[in-house]
Amino acid sequence: MVRFPKSLTPLLMVALMALLLAVLSACASPQSTFDPKSDAADSVLTIYILVTVVASVVGFAVLAAMVWLIIKFRAKPGVPARQIHGNNRLEASWTIAPILVLLIIGIPTMFWIAGTAEEPAADVLEVEAVGHQWWFEFTYPGMGPDGGDLITANELVIPVGRDIRVTLHSDDVLHSFWVPQLVGKTDMIPGRTNVLETFNVYEPGLYYGQCAEFCGSAHALMRFRVNAKTSANFSAWASAHNSGPTAPEPGTAAARGALGFATCSGCHAISGTAAQGRIGPDLSLFGERSTLAAGVLDNTDANLKAWIADVRSFKPIPEGARFMPAFNNDTVTTLDDGQIADIAAYLNSLTAK
Amino acid sequence: MAANTGILRRPLAPVGIWAWMTTVDHKRIAVLYGVTAFFFFLLGGMEALVMRVQLASAESTIVSAATYNAMFTMHGTTMVFMVVMPAGAAFFNFLIPLMIGARDVAFPRLNAFSYWLFLFGALLMNFSFFMNAFPDMGWFGYAPLTSNEYTLSSSTDYWVLGLLIMGIGTTAAGFNFVVTILNMRAPGMTLMRMPVFVWMTLIVAFLIIFAFPPLTIALTFLLFDRFFDTNFFVDIGAGSDPLLWQHLFWIFGHPEVYILILPAMGIVSDVLPTFTRKPLFGYTMVVFAGAVIGFLGFGVWAHHMFTTGLGPWANAAFAATTMAIAVPTGVKIFNWLATLYGGSITFKTPMLFTLGFISMFMLGGLSGVMHAVVPVDSQQSDTYFIVAHFHYVLFGGAIFGINSGIYYWFPKISGRMLSEPLGKLHFWLMLIGFNLTFMPMHILGVIGMPRRVYTYAEDMGFEFLNQLISAGSFIIALSVIVFTINVVRSIRQGEPAGDNPWGASTLEWSIPSPPHHYNFAVVPTVRSQHPLWDENANPVLPPALPAHDEPVMPDPSYWPIIVAFAITMVAGGLIIWQAHAIAGLTVIASMGLLGMRGIFGWVLEPMEDEAHVSVHH
Repeated sequence: MVRFPKSLTPLLMVALMALLLAVLSACASPQSTFDPKSDAADSVLTIYILVTVVASVVGFAVLAAMVWLIIKFRAKPGVPARQIHGNNRLEASWTIAPILVLLIIGIPTMFWIAGTAEEPAADVLEVEAVGHQWWFEFTYPGMGPDGGDLITANELVIPVGRDIRVTLHSDDVLHSFWVPQLVGKTDMIPGRTNVLETFNVYEPGLYYGQCAEFCGSAHALMRFRVNAKTSANFSAWASAHNSGPTAPEPGTAAARGALGFATCSGCHAISGTAAQGRIGPDLSLFGERSTLAAGVLDNTDANLKAWIADVRSFKPIPEGARFMPAFNNDTVTTLDDGQIADIAAYLNSLTAK
Repeated sequence: MAANTGILRRPLAPVGIWAWMTTVDHKRIAVLYGVTAFFFFLLGGMEALVMRVQLASAESTIVSAATYNAMFTMHGTTMVFMVVMPAGAAFFNFLIPLMIGARDVAFPRLNAFSYWLFLFGALLMNFSFFMNAFPDMGWFGYAPLTSNEYTLSSSTDYWVLGLLIMGIGTTAAGFNFVVTILNMRAPGMTLMRMPVFVWMTLIVAFLIIFAFPPLTIALTFLLFDRFFDTNFFVDIGAGSDPLLWQHLFWIFGHPEVYILILPAMGIVSDVLPTFTRKPLFGYTMVVFAGAVIGFLGFGVWAHHMFTTGLGPWANAAFAATTMAIAVPTGVKIFNWLATLYGGSITFKTPMLFTLGFISMFMLGGLSGVMHAVVPVDSQQSDTYFIVAHFHYVLFGGAIFGINSGIYYWFPKISGRMLSEPLGKLHFWLMLIGFNLTFMPMHILGVIGMPRRVYTYAEDMGFEFLNQLISAGSFIIALSVIVFTINVVRSIRQGEPAGDNPWGASTLEWSIPSPPHHYNFAVVPTVRSQHPLWDENANPVLPPALPAHDEPVMPDPSYWPIIVAFAITMVAGGLIIWQAHAIAGLTVIASMGLLGMRGIFGWVLEPMEDEAHVSVHH
């Protein structure tokens, strides 16, 4: 009979787990759920670690028991199997034991769920997020010019140290709003209003977010950033947003681009200008953003020009989907490289100064 | 021989393609299910390898987003509906009559009909590949991405119709096996003497009967939305709701998980006694735990929807029920381990896969409990952690269990042993490849990689783990090649098995390998759970009868395959109708007529032709 060392199975597992834990610590990811930067993500991580420890202890214990059993009771000549049919007391005990273990993780779970029903602080910042195929729109009710809406896209700007409550909608299919370091995900569903768990960011920084519900061909490229600023910087950003851009120096590329932007204004808006299209992302203070194309490309002049010229070389937009045309080769409006460069210069001139 | 009246003569030859197409023998139908499931396993596996090649590097452009999305959609659909379910059906079909001492299932022609609907439904769905309309909206088909507005091609139509057709066959099989198990047991085969596999099959059959209607309703609504502009899932203002789809889909979808895993639990519960040489520890508890899992399985569906904003009450309730289901699952694992205690364990390949099943499934169960914790799920949901979890359950669980069953019963099915060295190589390669593939996915989920993404940016830190995973997936592929070689080699030159090569205790091992087409010449009388162990001195079976006294079995029939074909072509006609109304309606009408003719033929067909009975073919 082949005498395979059966113990290899679980030992291998243990070794693999250890290896992977090592890998985990080596893998710093901007979307790591084990690197929380807000109170909400922190409270989840506490339970996450508890649950992981409980599951690992149970898992290793059962694997160890199995290893011991298969070594101890491997067939030996002259030793017959003992014909045991069961043991009621033992079976009752291993029915009750899992219940007790489950209480360890179940009770904190229930407390956490109860906590989600709590009201946020009075100075909570309310934001509405709308998912579109394949970008995010953010609206700050009452923070816009004349008490209207302040609207931006793909980079959610928020103050640190203040409760943030995001209500979620979708304009088309399902999406899901997820910023792993700040808050767990909640789905964006057409016709429904969901409310994200309230969160309060610890420190200024740029946090990665991503759509977490499959939403069609470009789902993988529907990302965004959360730009957490100090309270003062946040206010400065909002007022710059509302006051609109100062007219570019005449004769510059940006000035030509401002005129050329008329091509874009049917779909895109820039606060404080004539451009008020609401089909595509709002581009106010575009020069302040770190990324373009919904968190996919670094916001550089070269990327911006290439994006305007041909979005389809960056994103898999299916035939017939409502999305920006490729302006280097559009049937209605074609822009030459110079015109595209002007518009890019204009967009990147839109900064808070 | 008297002339057979009717359009189609009944085929009575025992071999050849017609014999297989018209067979109503549960053992042949089992082989058809098994071979078909293996074919789709290779197909679904190749779809997985395409994904792994794509994800092996950051910002890869080896395949397009559309191709990748189609691959993950069809990989999931294929593995669930065309691999694990029919593999389970292969075992039900082969084993249930043998284990309960019956000569066939209750409704042999309905059994054939179930298989042909499964095959044709699966072929219809995969035919979309050649029409450049491979479904690409995810195996879960969340509304409203499946609506006409967002799916411009007929890909979703193929998916809906394929699933509906397969569902009819599955539902029929559910009824068939409930009736068979409850009514056709040999004398003395009381419910509590049935092998655990029979119990798990009975529970699965009930799960199918109750879980498939919600899926059928959801698919029919979607079909009507797509074909007839109804409004169940799309236009919210008009009163429909995309979340309705999710509720219906998961009310089916979670019991479906148990439909996939309970047969494997039954397999290992019957393999363990044979290779420990002792009865299963706590048989009654294992059976009742299975029933409790099946029952609770209907009350946990919303844990797939914790992120949809159901609110604190629903989340708390479904977290509690989901945690509760871990209790009977734990009981089973402990009872399996306790069966090892005091045993005389031999490590043949079926036993290795059973031990692999217990350990890997246990890990999958534990990560499943982690998702029951709502806050943790808010981070894990729709990430690779979930992908890791359900592969530990459905691959480490179901596929390892099915492999155990294949190595265990292949000698009974074919009369030949599979090679032990190749089997062990298969096991170790698969175990290592499996863990290398799916263990790192836990970590990927923790560091924030979402599911269903065809690419990821270089600066995300996902690349190294993805490379490990892709390497692991090719080790799994290698193990499947070893398995294929083993089977082909064994069919040609495998060692003859004899009636009971493992020294097992249940009825199927009391008859020749492979069994006669009538299974038992004389129906046995059962006096214990382990008849072949308890009655060695007093065999359960009298010697086989001379050939002219062989039991008369139901004759083959054309009608099941004809009706199944007609139903599938009516569905195909609906798709043609989208492109060309006259052609589509012609196909629907003619195939509808053929189906009607088939049903009448089926109804009016005698079980055995008189000529056949008198000649004793």
